[in-house]
Amino acid sequence: MNKHSRLHLPRPPARPGEKPDFSYVQISPAGAVRRPDVNARARDIEALAVEMVRVLDDADDAVGPWHPHLDPAELQVGLRHMLLTRIYDERMQRTQRAGKISFYIRSLGEEAVSVAQCMALRPGDMLFPSYRNQGLQIARGIALVDLMCQLLSNTRDMCKGRQLPVLYHSKAGNIFSISGNLATQFPQAVGWAMAAAIKGEDHLAASWIGEGSSAEADFHYALLFASVYQAPVILNVVNNQWAISTFQGYAGGEQRSFAARGPGYGIAGIRVDGNDFLAVYAVTQWAALRARTGAGPTLIELVTYRASAHSTSDDPARYRAKDDQEHWPLGDPIERLKRHLIKLGEWSEQRHRALTSELEALVGASWQEAVTYGTLNEGPKLDPDLMFEDVFKEMPQHLQRQRALMRMERS
Amino acid sequence: MASMNMIQALNSAMDIMLGRDPSVVLMGEDIGYFGGVFRTTEGLQRKYGEHRVLDTPIAEGGIIAAAIGMGVNGLRPVAEIQFADYIYPGFDQIVSELARLRYRSAGEFFAPVTIRTPCGGGIRGGQTHSQSPEGIFTHVSGLKVVMPSNPRDAKGLLITSIEDDDPVVFFEPKRLYNGPFDGDPTKPAVPWSAHPKGQVEEGYYTVPLGSADVVRSGSQVTIITYGTMVFVALAAAAALKVDAEIVDLRSLVPLDVDTICSSVKKTGRCVVAHEATRFSGFGAEIVSVVQEECFWDLEAPIQRVTGWDTPYPHAFEWEYFPGQSRVASAVKAVMEPT
Amino acid sequence: MSQFVFKMPDLGEGTVEAEIVAWHTQPGAVVTEDQVIVEVMTDKAAVEVPAPVSGRVLSVTGAPGDKVAVGSPLIVFETDAAPAPATAPAPMTAPAAVSAALKAPAAAAEDLPGTPIEAGRAGRVMTSPANRRRAREAGIDLSSAAGSGPGGRILRSDLNSTGVGAAVSQAANVAPTAAATSEIKVIGVRRLIAERMSAAKRDIPHFAYVEEVDVTELEALRAQMNAKLAKGEPRLTYLPLVISALVRVLESFPQCNVLYDAARGVLVRHRAVHVGIATQTPDGLKVPVLRNAQALGLWEIAAEARRVSERARSNKATRDELVGSTITITSLGKLGGIASTPVINAPEVAIVGLNKAVDRPVVHQGAIAVRRIMNLSSSFDHRFVDGYDAAAMIQALKELLEHPAMIFILKAKSP
Repeated sequence: MNKHSRLHLPRPPARPGEKPDFSYVQISPAGAVRRPDVNARARDIEALAVEMVRVLDDADDAVGPWHPHLDPAELQVGLRHMLLTRIYDERMQRTQRAGKISFYIRSLGEEAVSVAQCMALRPGDMLFPSYRNQGLQIARGIALVDLMCQLLSNTRDMCKGRQLPVLYHSKAGNIFSISGNLATQFPQAVGWAMAAAIKGEDHLAASWIGEGSSAEADFHYALLFASVYQAPVILNVVNNQWAISTFQGYAGGEQRSFAARGPGYGIAGIRVDGNDFLAVYAVTQWAALRARTGAGPTLIELVTYRASAHSTSDDPARYRAKDDQEHWPLGDPIERLKRHLIKLGEWSEQRHRALTSELEALVGASWQEAVTYGTLNEGPKLDPDLMFEDVFKEMPQHLQRQRALMRMERS
Repeated sequence: MASMNMIQALNSAMDIMLGRDPSVVLMGEDIGYFGGVFRTTEGLQRKYGEHRVLDTPIAEGGIIAAAIGMGVNGLRPVAEIQFADYIYPGFDQIVSELARLRYRSAGEFFAPVTIRTPCGGGIRGGQTHSQSPEGIFTHVSGLKVVMPSNPRDAKGLLITSIEDDDPVVFFEPKRLYNGPFDGDPTKPAVPWSAHPKGQVEEGYYTVPLGSADVVRSGSQVTIITYGTMVFVALAAAAALKVDAEIVDLRSLVPLDVDTICSSVKKTGRCVVAHEATRFSGFGAEIVSVVQEECFWDLEAPIQRVTGWDTPYPHAFEWEYFPGQSRVASAVKAVMEPT
Repeated sequence: MSQFVFKMPDLGEGTVEAEIVAWHTQPGAVVTEDQVIVEVMTDKAAVEVPAPVSGRVLSVTGAPGDKVAVGSPLIVFETDAAPAPATAPAPMTAPAAVSAALKAPAAAAEDLPGTPIEAGRAGRVMTSPANRRRAREAGIDLSSAAGSGPGGRILRSDLNSTGVGAAVSQAANVAPTAAATSEIKVIGVRRLIAERMSAAKRDIPHFAYVEEVDVTELEALRAQMNAKLAKGEPRLTYLPLVISALVRVLESFPQCNVLYDAARGVLVRHRAVHVGIATQTPDGLKVPVLRNAQALGLWEIAAEARRVSERARSNKATRDELVGSTITITSLGKLGGIASTPVINAPEVAIVGLNKAVDRPVVHQGAIAVRRIMNLSSSFDHRFVDGYDAAAMIQALKELLEHPAMIFILKAKSP
């Protein structure tokens, strides 16, 4: 057939070797977007779904109605959490390249998304993250050693050897078990929130997926159930532009913002500068208050950039321009908060360097301890008998037999 | 004791559990105000309120996912999938999430969800109202799979399933909702009120999972079956005047291997019967287990009685449905002198 | 012209059935009265049955090995010699029907595409797992069993016939499984022996008593006596000497010379000693009886032993000659080994076995000497013979055999 195909195909702005072009990203001036009341009806605030809430301007000043007016001490805590997340990521990335862990996923450039949002929530709120939200673990104070032991699948692994690296959970920290399947956590978070509402509690659930994962049916289920039951949930779409090599256009971002789907379901949708710590905090705070007061769920699109590869198994130079990140118009979250704090007189480069060293030492020391519990090749190993536990609450006969067979195989 | 059909027995189970355990919630399409398309949840929303018996959107994936989230947050959800034929949109949440949650979180998180769903044919329901997909779920580690054949078992098993902290997929053979069905569509329907297992205790009681029921003791041949086929097997054996031992599995996972093997070792001849399609059906697992455990006692090859490997047809309901004559052929074949 | 149905005659002593050994006629043949037409066997004796009438044989009932009840039809004759068309022989069980049955499953299988057709693969035994287990537990070699199921499959009923080399029903007259085996029907004397041996071992609690006997002097005596014989005269073997000694010994041990009547629950003590002499014949083991050994001298015993053995070997022994022993002696002569456990010849209670006489180094009168040693391996019925008595009897026998002169010295008169 010689006829020319008439099918439209989304194209990223720049392939390898091409000049990066982020003109497609709709950016509002900092402080330009109004801040409605938390009880506003979704249909009345639809504009927030296509604008971009920003607080930090290009001069590193906090401006506009969304300014959260946080204490500098709290901002410093946020900076620390973000920096620790980044340092932890870097160290673990190098560890993977050195063959000491099998796999790793960094959140480079997206630290504000997890840290700022977590800090705007309460400890009793249940978090349903994706695999790129390690900032939540850090912000909730989960010990680095525990995270590292999970990466090592060693004798102190919280998952007892059953999960791929980075698929953490924390019952005490109210962070749900991370699944290897995309978007499944989204509607689960809504169910959790529904239960909180049924019980008459004011806890929230918050969940994160990437924009690529919003293509999954579970995204629809989450928004539908959140809307139908007005569940006290915050649904976050982290639009970091890339899902492995799948440009956000293939998730529908070419035609409409992801936040705009919220109003489509009758839910408030807000689009925010994901690299702006203060804006992210402010929007999350707004959504949390909205949910806690029974005014309903919010869909937040956090616009950011996946500065790292998808994972240690990915090489982005094969599908996007190498210097993409440098041209990203919304900058780097750590740099921007640092400069803002310095401008407020509450921080300095020297303190930043000192903090960096301190956190590097902390990460190093944690790793030294973590490996004593076993590594891929050395040290104590998990008992393979564990493979048969927790399939059910109590081990049924057929698994007992299989465990016995496995033991025979090994002997 | 009261006379109950299977619908009433299931209703009673949910009623009792809603009353006993404030964390139990029901959810599903049309189950709340309307009481369910088969009336299994009739009256329960009126009795326990809209916040315990929830109507949901037509979104099986959402229903299961929301049930998981609720289960993680301390509730004990009983989610209805209106027909087992529609369970597939929720399959990912069941297999990838519900079945594995306890395992991947080393027991820190689990969701005590019971998924109830009517299954099976014999009702002229065609492909989208007649399927028996239980075999697919038995293959997923971390799921329990149950299928009662009568009101008395249905109530006890549902209570046990709801109380179980592991996820349970609870299949309800819809052809048996109103009465036992022996595979002969020309006979007038027999109600449960005329059957001993239609006499059901009104209060709380449990039937354990992993326990098969020998519904008929016999010495010549063992018929291992579940669901509607229990009654087809009983009728076929009676017509043949064969002294058949008929084992109603009731629980597919966990499987009562001991009862199966005691029976086959006694009779030496085995027929496995289920409505579901043949290839890779659950019957293949039973046959494998019998072959492994009872080989030296087998007088003859094990026979399977199943649906054909076609989508469930509408016009050919009775040619498709494994009725008494298909069971009889298998029994005769297995009883040839060897 | 009329038909005469000849029924199985009563062959005496309350025989209720007889086994057909061989037909000497066949349907269609013309026979004359008194002509032997069939050979049948009762307990032990073969009986030739003569034709009761002259005429043409129309049909016969039974094949070799079959047991026919006394009084049941055996042969149908057509008498008055009017020529009649030879009727076809009664069909045997239908091999044709069997092969048709074998073909049928294959034909049905053709209707089902892809159905595996039952085929007996060469060298592979086909039977169910349960039957394999039964065979294993019973020690039955499945490769030697023939199957009457489809394709030669061995059925459970095939295993239920007598064990190894099982007698197979007529219907399974299909091709033998492999050239590596052949089948011998257990009929006739072999079947009788099998049944009697089983019964003896089953009913009688045997115990064995083995003693070695220094027969140097006995050997000397035997040699001496044989030296005196003329050429061609039959040589004296150990047997008559042992029988003579045994007869003397039994005077003091009458409890070993009894017959047990199980039906009445009595032991019948015999004054006479009728010695059964276990004899290997072409038909198998037979035990002709040397009657009234107590009344015979050594040479008479020798002669009579030879005579009855010969009649047994040549299958001429009558029934009377094969029954009635009160004690049995068995010997394997040169093949005799050092010990054996003979089976008691019921309804007797003792059997004495002679093992091989060989030169051995023994302590004799305080020094190592080479003496001729022969073991006696005897079995006794422990219900009726206590160990002490058995031992005492054998010791007495040993003493006589070691001091053979004493055999011939008359017993001291009691005071």
